[in-house]
Amino acid sequence: MLARLHRAFERVLEWVVIVLLLLLALEVVLGVVYRYLGNPIAWYDEIASVLLAWVTYYGAALAALKRAHIGVPGFIAALSARPRLAAVLFGEACVLTFFALLAWYGGRVLQLLSGDTLATVDLPVLVTQSVIPLGALLFIAAELLILPETLRDGRRHRRTAAADGVDL
Amino acid sequence: MSALVLFIAILALIAINVPIAIALGVVAVVAMVASHGSEALLNLPLVMYTGATSFPLIAIPLFILAGAIMNASGISRRLVALASALLGFIRGALAMVSIGASLFFAEISGSAVADVAALGSILIPAMKRKGYSKEFAAAVVSSSATLAVIIPPSIPMILYAAMADTSVVKLFVAGIIPGVLGGLLLMAVSYWFAVKNDFPVEQAFQLKRVWTTFREAAWALLLPLIILGGIFGGVVTATEGAALAVIAALLIGVVIYRELDWTHLKQAMIEGGIQTAVVMLLVAASALLGTYLTEIQAPQKLAAAVAQLTDNRYLVLALLNLLFLVLGLFLHSAAAIILVVPVVMPLVQTVGIDPVHFGLIVTVNLGIGQQTPPVASVLMTACSIAKSDIWETSKVNVYFIGVLLLVLILVTYIPAIPMSLVHVFYG
Repeated sequence: MLARLHRAFERVLEWVVIVLLLLLALEVVLGVVYRYLGNPIAWYDEIASVLLAWVTYYGAALAALKRAHIGVPGFIAALSARPRLAAVLFGEACVLTFFALLAWYGGRVLQLLSGDTLATVDLPVLVTQSVIPLGALLFIAAELLILPETLRDGRRHRRTAAADGVDL
Repeated sequence: MSALVLFIAILALIAINVPIAIALGVVAVVAMVASHGSEALLNLPLVMYTGATSFPLIAIPLFILAGAIMNASGISRRLVALASALLGFIRGALAMVSIGASLFFAEISGSAVADVAALGSILIPAMKRKGYSKEFAAAVVSSSATLAVIIPPSIPMILYAAMADTSVVKLFVAGIIPGVLGGLLLMAVSYWFAVKNDFPVEQAFQLKRVWTTFREAAWALLLPLIILGGIFGGVVTATEGAALAVIAALLIGVVIYRELDWTHLKQAMIEGGIQTAVVMLLVAASALLGTYLTEIQAPQKLAAAVAQLTDNRYLVLALLNLLFLVLGLFLHSAAAIILVVPVVMPLVQTVGIDPVHFGLIVTVNLGIGQQTPPVASVLMTACSIAKSDIWETSKVNVYFIGVLLLVLILVTYIPAIPMSLVHVFYG
C-alpha cells in the first residue's frame, strides 16, 4: 500500500518536473526568437523566473522522495545505535518543522498578496507564489512517505556513502 | 546572535545529516525569530520564493537539458570516434582518447558528473578489454572529466557568477586557456604512464579516418561552438544561449542523427530537474541566511579582520585555496560555492582580486574537490562504472590530481593564464 502510494506520488512529481523543464526551455527560446523578430515579449523574463521557482519546489519534493538533497551522512553513521537514532529523529524534526513553517507562513502571505498581479502580465501573484505552501506540503508528504526507510537506516548500522545527493 | 554561533549551529545540523539547504534554512529561521520576533517569519516564504527566481540561473537546467539530449542522441560515441582517429596512434591511446573526448565534450556539457557518466560508460569498458587496469581506467576518465567544468559552458561558473554577482561570459572566456592547458598536461602524464606500463596503441593515423569521423561528429561540435560564439559576442546572454543549445540538441538528435533514445532522455530530464531543484533550494536557503548575515555585516567584518592580519593578495589567495581544497574533501561543489562565495567576496574585493580571476580559481579548485575522497562525486561515478575501489583508484589518480593542482597554482599565481583572453575580448 505504502509502496504503491510512494510510486504514484513519484510518477506524478516526475511528470510535473519534466513538463515544467520543457516549458521553461520553450519559453526562453520563444523569448529569444521574438526579440530577434523585433517583437519582444514583455513577460518573458518574469515568467521564466516563475517557472524556475516552480521547478525548484516541485523538484525539491521529488528530490526528498529520492533522498537526493545534498547532505553529509558520514558522521552519524559512525555513532552507536542510540545516539544515532536520536540524531536521526532530531534531524527529521528540524526538516518537518522548517517546511511546516514555510507552508503556514506561505499560506498567510498568499492571503496578504491576494489581488496583486505580476508586473508584466495579468497573472495573479496568488498563482505564482502558491508554489511555496504547495511545495512545502509536498515536501512534508515526501518526508513522511520515506520516514519508515529513514528510521530503519537510523536504527540499523549501515555503511553509508560519505555524501548524499547530486553534484554538478 | 553572532556569526560564529550561526556557523557552529549549521555545522552541527549538517553533522547529523540534515540536508545542507535545510540546515541553512533552520538556522536562519531561528536567527530571524530571535532578533525580530515571530512576525519576521512572514519574510520566510517571500525570500525563499525570490531566492529561487534568479534569471541567470535558468541557464543551469537548460544546459543540463541540452547535454542530456545530446548524450541521448549518440554524440558521446561520435566524439570518442573522432578523438580515437586523432590520437589513436599514440602509446596509451585510449587514455589519450578519453582526455581528447573530454576536451570535445566539455564544450557541450557544463557538468563533470555528466561527462564522466557519458564518456566513462564507453571508454572504461574499452580500456579494461585492452588490458589497462580498472584503477587506471577510472582515474584517467575521472580526472579528465574535470575539464567539463573549466571549459565553457560550465554550471559551477554559472552558479559562481550569480553568487558573486559577476559576468558569467567573462568567466567562460577565462576558462578556455586553463582548460586546454589542463588537457595537455593530463595527456603528458598519461603518456608517461603508458610508456612505463607499455600500454598499446590503437590504430595508425589516417587522414581519411579523421575526416570521416569529423564529418560524423561535426554537428555536435560546431553547433555548440556557434552558440558559445554567440554568447561571447554578446549576441545572446548565457541563459538564451543555453536555450538555443536545447533546440540545437533536439535538432541534432531528432533530425540529423535520428537516434534519440526517449527512455534514456526521460530519465536524464528527471535527473536534470532534481539536480536543478537541489541546487536552487540551496540558493534560496542561502538567500534567507544571507539577508541575516548582511544585517549583522558578517562578510564585511570577516574581510576587515583578515585584511588587518594581512593585505598580501598572494597570501590571501593561498588561504582561500586551502579553505576550498579542504571543503572539496567533504562537500559537493555546488554546496561549497553557495556556502562560501557570498561570505568571502568582500574579502576578495578588499585585497584587490578580480572576481572573474577568483571565479576561475574556485572552479578549478572545486573540480579537484570532485576527485578527492571521501566526497568525490566524479571519482565515485567513474569507480562505480569501472567496479574499482575508490581508495585503490585514488593511488593512481593522485598523479592526475597533481596535474590539476599544478593548473590551480598556475591559474592562481599567473593571472594572465585565465585573464589574457578576457582582456583581448573585453578590454
